Order: sequence, then structure tokens, then C-alpha cells
Amino acid sequence: MKHFSDVYRHLRRKNWRQYALLAGCAFFSVLLITAYACMMRSPTILTVLPEGGDSRKQVMMVFVLAVLGCAVFTIYASGLFFRQKSREIGTFLALGATRGQLKAELIKELAALSLASCGAGILLGAPLSWLIWQIFRSMIVDTEEMVLRFDPQAFLIPLFFSGFIILMLFFMGSRSIRRTNIIDIVQESHKSEPIRAVPRWYGPVGILLILLGLVLGYAMPGVFIEHLQWYPPDGLTAVFYLPALIGLYQLLLHTVVNGWGGKKRKYKDLISTSMMKFQGRQTVRNMLVMTVLLAGAYFASFFTPMMLSSSGQSTANRPIDFLYHYRTDQNMLTKPDVQQLAEEYQVEITSWAEATGSILGIDGIAHLETESAVGVTYTEEYRALLASATMLSASDFNAITGSNLHLAPGTGANILDDEGATPWLSAGDVTHITNTVTGQEIDIDPVDPVHYSQLIGCFILNDEDYARITQGLTPEWQEHYVLFNVADVEASFPFAKALFYDIVDHSGPEVEVFSNWDPVERELEIEEKGSYFLDPENLEEHGFSSINYDEPDSSEFRLDWKYMPQFKILDQTETVKTMAVFLMLFIFIAIVCFAAFVVISFTRCMTIGLTNARVYDDLRHLGAPRSYLYRSVKGQVSRVFLVPTLVGTLLIYAFYTLIMYFNGDPAGITPSEGTGMLVCLSVIAVVSVILFLVYRVTLKKVYKATIDQKAP
Amino acid sequence: MLTVHDLHKSYQVGKTTYEVLKGISLEVGKGEFVAVMGPSGSGKTTLLNCISCYIPADSGQITLGGRQLAKLDETALAAVRNKQLGFVFQDFLLLDGLNVHQNILLPAIIGGTAGPAAEQRANQLCQVFGISAIRDKYPAEISGGEKQRTAVARALINNPLLILADEPTGNLDSKSSRAVISAFEQAKAALEATIFMVTHDSFAASFCDRVIILRDGIVWRVLEKGAKERTAFQDELLDSIREMGRE
Repeated sequence: MKHFSDVYRHLRRKNWRQYALLAGCAFFSVLLITAYACMMRSPTILTVLPEGGDSRKQVMMVFVLAVLGCAVFTIYASGLFFRQKSREIGTFLALGATRGQLKAELIKELAALSLASCGAGILLGAPLSWLIWQIFRSMIVDTEEMVLRFDPQAFLIPLFFSGFIILMLFFMGSRSIRRTNIIDIVQESHKSEPIRAVPRWYGPVGILLILLGLVLGYAMPGVFIEHLQWYPPDGLTAVFYLPALIGLYQLLLHTVVNGWGGKKRKYKDLISTSMMKFQGRQTVRNMLVMTVLLAGAYFASFFTPMMLSSSGQSTANRPIDFLYHYRTDQNMLTKPDVQQLAEEYQVEITSWAEATGSILGIDGIAHLETESAVGVTYTEEYRALLASATMLSASDFNAITGSNLHLAPGTGANILDDEGATPWLSAGDVTHITNTVTGQEIDIDPVDPVHYSQLIGCFILNDEDYARITQGLTPEWQEHYVLFNVADVEASFPFAKALFYDIVDHSGPEVEVFSNWDPVERELEIEEKGSYFLDPENLEEHGFSSINYDEPDSSEFRLDWKYMPQFKILDQTETVKTMAVFLMLFIFIAIVCFAAFVVISFTRCMTIGLTNARVYDDLRHLGAPRSYLYRSVKGQVSRVFLVPTLVGTLLIYAFYTLIMYFNGDPAGITPSEGTGMLVCLSVIAVVSVILFLVYRVTLKKVYKATIDQKAP
Repeated sequence: MLTVHDLHKSYQVGKTTYEVLKGISLEVGKGEFVAVMGPSGSGKTTLLNCISCYIPADSGQITLGGRQLAKLDETALAAVRNKQLGFVFQDFLLLDGLNVHQNILLPAIIGGTAGPAAEQRANQLCQVFGISAIRDKYPAEISGGEKQRTAVARALINNPLLILADEPTGNLDSKSSRAVISAFEQAKAALEATIFMVTHDSFAASFCDRVIILRDGIVWRVLEKGAKERTAFQDELLDSIREMGRE
């Protein structure tokens, strides 16, 4: 060993654990971000996540949380690395090494460490996401759409993050040797954080701030939109969640520094509380990241059970087994055709009902949007002719649904779903109706809406009014509804599938349109702007997937075709397949976030041993038995591990309840939402058991590293 | 060899300024073994850290071997620390990842003079300080006294003009302390080393040629050992300390 670099290399080999910890943390962070970014930017995913839609926003939100978490985690790991290295650096400087000598060695090793760990993370991120996706495909569901494709641009995100890690490491490295007071550098590793008193009110006030932040964050966008007529930028609405973040920090700080045990536990928790107190800031920062990551993981994992239970319940509750509708200008299957097909598949049709509805112009409030520097604002303007709705006569409605609705002349009723939870899908309160073919108009008074999920979006008129206003309508302005039940719905899947394909085959290109495609809106928009954004040729430009008869099994077609039939057995059997990409994406995000939570908590707990080795030696010298030392280790590990678990879980469940409660009109939790939330509770139970097992393993490992290893 | 003239140093804690050194002046001649004593807060360690250039002084001059240290740039200061000064710390400051022999050689490696001559000198120092048997052991495997003797050997590897020792017996039992003091005496006798030691320990200080007693940041008294017996010099030291305590 003749050269300084030989000494450095030798020490690196001896202290490999410190390097491995830092490299491992950087590798894991980049790996996670690469895998997530690859998935998030994958054309496979983007095709099914509508641009500007809630799902894409949620995926992005969890991604931002994951990036912030990884950034805090790597900063922590780097801080720990340089803290441990400071004694070595200080000794070199004290013995006459120049800063230039140290800088040269540090640059070499930091460059090698960061490039290798970040490079490996980027290289393995895409195969990791592909592997997880393949496991989903082979174990859960596999469709043509699930073939995972990557966008090379996705790698820009982990490249930027790697750039951040490399710059941060070099900055911290340069700072560690730049200080002029060598004694400070030598003593750095023994220094504790300067401690500030944390008032006991931080705990309860923290909880209140969390609640306030959640309510404000959720409610303020609605307040802006409804009362200020302003769609604020997403970044601004996120600001209203800040009190929750501040409250969470206060709550965790109080838990770490003061604890919740009161005076009774003052002496019992003295050592573990004191040890954590002197690393309070970094501990709390880590716990904050863990809490947020866990909340994000649960948020993503709730998507699947909520979606499946809500759609499952609504499908199961349908009174009609088979319902389809088509424009009357289509050369659609006739009743004998359907009966013949049923016979072929040995399906017995037990009831049959048909009715013809009419597409009429309706009035409403137009939102006229204006882009400005502060976001999009809108003004409301009443339009006598705004859009269209399918109208049914009261007697037709009664005939096909078995209802007994009476409407007085001059009145009309809107149809909502059974739970009244999705009023935005209905026609709304219509007061003025226009026959767009003849130009005839009538005014009506809306009465209480009726509930019939399978006909949501339709509107019911008094028979005489209906007859008067629909006179002169041409076939493309009429829709025919067919409803029938079968004797054994469970055995009717092959028939349902064959009928669905036949309906698609009998539909012409003029109805190969998106679900929100509206003939009246179209005419008005073409008149005003020259084109209609939902016309097939404009869909992709506006971020929508195209509707294609050649892909009747694709999610886009099943979810967004305007004339998609409602066949109970088809929807029950193929929901998972239809929603596969959505479901798998959210499961993937949940897995990634849970993995990040476990790795960060495990690493943080393991460093308790590294940073407190001296204290445990002192305690041993003071005669502390192993049971006492174990209790002290457990006190810290349980706080680092269990507090974020508990807070994160409660927080996200409370937030989810809040969302479920206020997302309908009127506010409240519908039975299907209640079922979904119960399923989410069981997800929490399963995950909690797994996390508890991880906690026990972590505790055992930390105990082994701090007490067992050093026991005399 | 070493001249300190009118040295001032203060620390800022929040809005309060603490003046630790209030104009210290002293001289250490070649081959002298000098101790600095004084109560806690008298400025002993701060004085040593300023002489080592570990912390910058506010004003005053430190001259080592005829060169004013304050005028040196960072690289020249590092060379002074490496070639002209040797350090012995209270908590040894040995690198855990290097064995005894490698720790001793470290200043030579840093200075780029490692080679057969440095190896030979390291072996010689191991012999002088009785640590040859543990030369391949790591710090975690040896006693406190052995660690400190390793640190003394490391301080001498580059034939420095001056050894600076900060409480070298502070973490040791009496037997180990005696061994470390013997190491200094041997360094002085056999290698003509000049030693400047900060200590609380009157026993360790009683081996020195001269003891400078600091109080509240100024030199309170200087005691010369001269031809006195060690025990008599220790009594004189203790009397002075008692006297200082009464004032």
C-alpha cells in the first residue's frame, strides 16, 4: 500500500457495507422510478387512460409521491454515508492530506458508485416492469391489449432522477471536505441533531391539520369550479392538501420526540425516545415518506376492489338480462333472428319487450370556457338547444320496465341510476325540447326523476307530448330498445357473446361512434367551429381512443361504444378482461409503492443499529440486561415501522371514505360503495398482516445487528 | 521551533460571542517536552487546534520552524500538517479499516513518501514503542494503550518538527497512560522529538520539561521542571492548581 488511492481502495473494501447501503438505496430508487415511468408512459397504458382523466391524474399523483419519497430516501442514505465517512475524511485532513487529494478519490468512487447503481436501476427497471406485467398476464388475465409496449421517452424520467442523485452525491461529497474546521469534520459522525422542544400540542393540532387538509384539498376544486367558475391548475389545487402534510409532519414529530404514552411511560420509553429525539428530523422525514408511500400504495390498491365490487353489484342487480339498442336506420337483427340464435345455443327466452325512443334536442346550461393565465374560467349561458337525449313515452317506459309511471301533460322525468349516484350521466333537468328535423318545440316541467340504471341517460315524456313532438322524425333520430330475459342466465354466456358479435356485425359505420357522441352537439359544433371533436376522425387528436368494429373485445370498444349492449352474463364474466389494463396498472403501482415502503422502513430500521452502536455499548456497560436492550430496540423499530403504517392506513381510508361520501349527489355512501369499502377493509387486513410479518423480521434483524452481534 | 504570539480566538454561539483565547503568547524550543494544563474552558484544546491549523485563529501569529502558518495557503498547510507536525488525539483517530502497521504508515502514504525507507521506519517505531507483535492487528482488536502508542508512532513516521498531543492519556488507565508517556520520553530521547501536549493529568505533565498553565484564555503561570525530581515537580504542579482554584 504505497499510494493514497491504495488506502482509499483498501478502506472501501473494509467498509463495503456503507457503500452497499448507499448504492443499494440509489439503485432501488432508480429501479422503482424506471419501472413506474416505463409503465406510466407505456402506449399500452396511455391508450386506455384518457388524457386529462381522473385515472391518469391518480397515476401521476402517486408517481410524484414515489419520486419525492425516493428523493428523500436517497438524500437520507447519502447523509448517512457521508456522516459515517466524515471521521475518515477528517483523519486524512488532520494527517496532512490535501483537499485536492481527497476530492480526486471521492470523485472517482462517487462517480463509479452513482453511475453503476443508477445505470443498473435504469437497465433493470424496464425488464422488472415487463416481468411483473407478464406475471399478471399469466396469472390473472391476458388480452391482446395487455401486450406491454415501451416508449423510449419514458427513460428520460429516470435519467433526470439519476442526474439528481449524482449531483446530490457530488454536492454532499464536496461539502463534506470543504469545511475549514477539521475538528468538526472528525466529530461529525458523533454529532446529534440540535434538538428543539416539540410542544405537546403538536400531536392533536397535527391531527386537526390533517383532517383540514384532506377536506380542503378535496373540496376546494369543487368550490372553485362551482362558485368562482374557474378550473384552477392542478398544481394550485394540490396546495390545499398542504395543511395535511404539515399536520402529518407535526403528528410524526410529536410521536417521535414526545411519544403518546404520557407520564406513566416516561421512564419506560426514556432510552428509545431519547435516541430518536436526537435524530428526530431525519427520522421524521423518513417516516413522512413512508406514510405518504403507504397511503399511495393503498390508494392504488383500492381501485381494483372498488371498481369490481361496484360494477359487479350494479351488474348483478340488473332486472333485465339482455338489453340492447340501436338506431332505427340500422339493418339490425330482428326478433326471429335473436330467437333463432337462442335456439342454436339452447337458451330459453322467457320475456321479450321492445320500445322505440326518439333522439330530441334538449335545452341546458352551456359552459363557455376561456383560457387565461390563471387557468380555464367559464361562464354559463342558457341554450334552448344544447344537446340531445333519447326520449321514451311514459307508456313505452312502463311497458318495457314493468313500472307504473304517470306523467301529466307538459311534464317530463329524467332517468337516474338505481342509487342516484351518477346524475352527470343522465339527461338532466330538461325544460325545453326540440324536434331537430321539423323544428317543432315544446316546454315541459321536470318532475321527480325515476330510477332505472339500464336506461340512464333517457328521458320520459307524457304520451301525448311524445306523440306530438316526435312527429316527422326520420329513422336516424330514433333508437329502438330490445329487452329480454332468459331462463338460465348463467348458461347463456356463449349466446350472449354470439349475439354481441352479431349486433356489431349488423351496425353500420355511421354508428361506429364514441359513447358521448351527440348528433345535436355535433351539428351545433360543426356550425360554430367547422368540426366536431367526437367524430371518429378527431378522436385521437383529442386524446380519446378510436372505436373500431374490428376490435369488439378491446377495452375501448366495450367501455366507449355508444351502442354497447348490456348483457348481464357478458359483463359479469368479462369485466376483469375489459378493465384488465386499468386493474393491472393500479395493482402494479400498489406493488411498487408497497415494495418501496418495505425497503425504506427496513433500511431506516437497520440504520438504528449503525447510528446507535455507541449508546448500546454504553447501556451494556451500565449493566442493562438483554431484555432491556431488546425493549429499547423494539421501541424504536416499532415507532419507525408501525406509526407510518397506522397513520398511512387510517389516513387513506378516511380520505377514501370522504371521497365516496361526497362524490354523489346527494352526498352519502351508496350500497355498492359500502360493499367496495368493506372489500378495501379486507385488503387492508391482508396487507397489514404482511406488513406485520415484515416488521417482525426487521425487528429480529435489527436486534441481531445491534445486540446479538455485540453481546460479550 | 514554535512561537505563538498574541493569539485570539472566539466562538459564536447564537448571538453570544465567547472569547476563548485572549492573547496567548508562548515559545517551544527544539527537543522540548511541553505540557499545557488548565481547567475546563481555559482554552487548552482551542490553542492546540489553532496551532494545528484545524481551526482558524481570529488574530495573532503562529510560527513553526520560522514560517508563519497564517500566511500559508490550503496546500501548504496540508504539507505542514503532514511533514512538520505529528498528531496524537485523545480518541486516537486510528482508521478502523487499516491495521496497526498501515495506520502508522498513513502520513507517509498521504505525503507520497511511502516506500522501503518508510516501511523500515515504521518497523523501527513499532519496536521502539513495543507494538511489533500487534502490527497486523486492527484497532478493534487492540487495547487503548496500544492504540495510543500506535498513534504516537504514526505521529512520528514523517520525522515532524513538532508532535501535538491532545489529552493523549485521557481515555487510558494508569498503566496504559504510563506506557504512552514512556513512548513520548523515548521519542524525545531516541528521535529528538519536540512534544507539545495538552493534558488534565498532573502525573503526565510531571514528565515534561515545562508546564504552561492556562486560565480563562490567558497564560496564568509557567512552571519549569529544571533539575527537580518528577514527584517534586508534580507536587509543585498540584500546588499551583490548588492555588488557582482558591483565587
